[in-house]
Amino acid sequence: MKKILIVDDEQDIVESLKFVLEAADFTCYCAYNGEDGLRLAKEIIPDLIILDVMMPKINGYKISRLLKYDAKYKNIPILMVTARSQEEDKLIGEETGADEYITKPFELDEVVKKVEEYLK
Amino acid sequence: MTRILFISDNSQKVDYFNSVFKKNSYDFSSLSDEKLIYEIISAEMPDIIIIDSSFNNIKLINKKIKSVNENSIIIFLTNPNKIEKEIVKYANAFITEDMSEDLILSTISVNLRMKNALEMLSNSNKDLADSLYRLNALYDTSSRFSGTLDKAKLIQFMIEGMDKALSFSLTCTLSLCTEATPVLILDSLYELSDELIEALKLRTVLNYNSINKEEKPEDKQLDITTLKVIKHVKYPASRFTFNLFQYDNMFAPISLGENLFGCVEIFKETSFTAEDSTCFQTIAQQVALPLKSATLYQELIETNQKLEKLERLKSEFISIVSHELRTPLTSIKNSLDILMSGKCIELNSNAEKFLSMAMRNVQRLSGIINDLLDLSKIEAGKMDFHFAPTNINTVIGYVKSALSEVAKTKGLKLTTKESDNLPDITADSQRLEQVLTNLVSNAIKFTPEDKEITISSSLVNSKDIQINEYFKDSIILKNTDYIMVCVKDEGIGIEGKDLLHAFDKFAQIENSLSRKAGGTGLGLPIAKQLLEAHQGAIWCDSELHKGSKFYFVIPVSTNLN
Repeated sequence: MKKILIVDDEQDIVESLKFVLEAADFTCYCAYNGEDGLRLAKEIIPDLIILDVMMPKINGYKISRLLKYDAKYKNIPILMVTARSQEEDKLIGEETGADEYITKPFELDEVVKKVEEYLK
Repeated sequence: MTRILFISDNSQKVDYFNSVFKKNSYDFSSLSDEKLIYEIISAEMPDIIIIDSSFNNIKLINKKIKSVNENSIIIFLTNPNKIEKEIVKYANAFITEDMSEDLILSTISVNLRMKNALEMLSNSNKDLADSLYRLNALYDTSSRFSGTLDKAKLIQFMIEGMDKALSFSLTCTLSLCTEATPVLILDSLYELSDELIEALKLRTVLNYNSINKEEKPEDKQLDITTLKVIKHVKYPASRFTFNLFQYDNMFAPISLGENLFGCVEIFKETSFTAEDSTCFQTIAQQVALPLKSATLYQELIETNQKLEKLERLKSEFISIVSHELRTPLTSIKNSLDILMSGKCIELNSNAEKFLSMAMRNVQRLSGIINDLLDLSKIEAGKMDFHFAPTNINTVIGYVKSALSEVAKTKGLKLTTKESDNLPDITADSQRLEQVLTNLVSNAIKFTPEDKEITISSSLVNSKDIQINEYFKDSIILKNTDYIMVCVKDEGIGIEGKDLLHAFDKFAQIENSLSRKAGGTGLGLPIAKQLLEAHQGAIWCDSELHKGSKFYFVIPVSTNLN
């Protein structure tokens, strides 16, 4: 089973993502702040990361940059999720190497579809 | 009585002149002692001095006299056949021993007249110089006033100006405008005792209350206990006593119209002239205008700071709306999604009904948040547009396919009438979709069952575009070709008087049907702003109970990229 890491300080959002992804036969790991997220990512080496931007301790941009510039982790696809929808934020997301940018509120089905696409 | 001094050691001559002048009621005296001469002229200068030219040392005597008073009249008694050239330099006139008595008296009289004329000239010269100095002081003060918007400096310049023009012993300036609380500024020649300062404070408070009472009773009485004192003393070695209150004084309020900036009282040991008073009042009046400007300037700066703060708060608010509202909304929506998918529990028809009701309202709420965000972004000039060549019929196609299902469920028919071969326009296709979606959604919302909604497109020249009287004045079109889109419905329509406000924020027209239809009333103002960003325009023709036609136009060629 493919491993997915969900990093978001909004527990409710993590819960719902976990529910639909598990229903779609993925194994989910959850972290509720940037620090735990980065540690877990290096520990379990997931097949895909769903990453929130605005988080305590280490923000999503930084995590993305740290992973994407490291040969060991750079092939892990990252889906950035955020409530910020300004164009410049999207640009920053792309620059940090994130593979996809999803803005809140999002459709759960859409996220599942995206995840399946990346892990085909 | 005219005083004549005769300097001679010849007693015969002295006697002669004594008899001549006394007879004609002159105050005549004579001297021969050189030392005594100097003492006498230093103490009181005679009107006319007659010097016997046979007297010793006349050159030196001459010099001394002139050094005491340049304008003193010196007449030489001389030998008619022998006038020394040197003496001519100093002499005002000459008399001779053999001159007739009448001639001597005439010479004296002529010289007296000349002396008086000279004195008058010299006095008026002095007055003129005084006036010039004062005028310069006034001019200097007023140019310093115009050079600053600092209220404390303006008050200081006023006091310095008064010192220059009037040379006071003490000024008491009450300033209400330089600090948060009233300040009494004392500029004194000599040191002031604490008791004297208290007395001056009391005097100033009484002065202030007397001018202020007329307009503002009770509310702005000055409190002596909290009155702050700033003291500047020029010569601290000496002290003023309570005799100060016997000095001559002048008082003036510093005010412009209804604004009272303070008041000033000035003391001087010698008495003030009418000119002093004018000068004093002028300076006190002159400072009021720049004080008013400075106050306005300060208010302007404060208002600006407030506005900047508000603008910052607004941005912060928008970011809160963006993040803090969307995040919980996402969670609600996700939960509803999961429940509706039936993956958790099996739903009966009632549960499904209420879940979809909740879902519909979540979607409505996120629509409202998006509208609010869009509008504030546009107003802040922060909306990003991606201008690219766009075919309007493609946009119409998208909107039709997205909304025909919605129209169908309401029993409405959505049709399109596109003109073929329309040129591309420079536009942000997503934003145009937003505009058109809004117009068509509105049409669906406000049209009763079994009616038709039509979207049409065409190419028109601005001279063929007809805009109704309500919008004619506010829309200015360039003399060029436009793509025109019209959304026509057979709905409730809009009354003429409401048409003008159709594109105002939060201006949904008050009636039962529109209330039922819901919405924030932000869709049309957003559409208007989005079209204006495309150098286009939007307006509406409507007839109550018959239907509306919303038109928008975008120029075929623009300088957008």
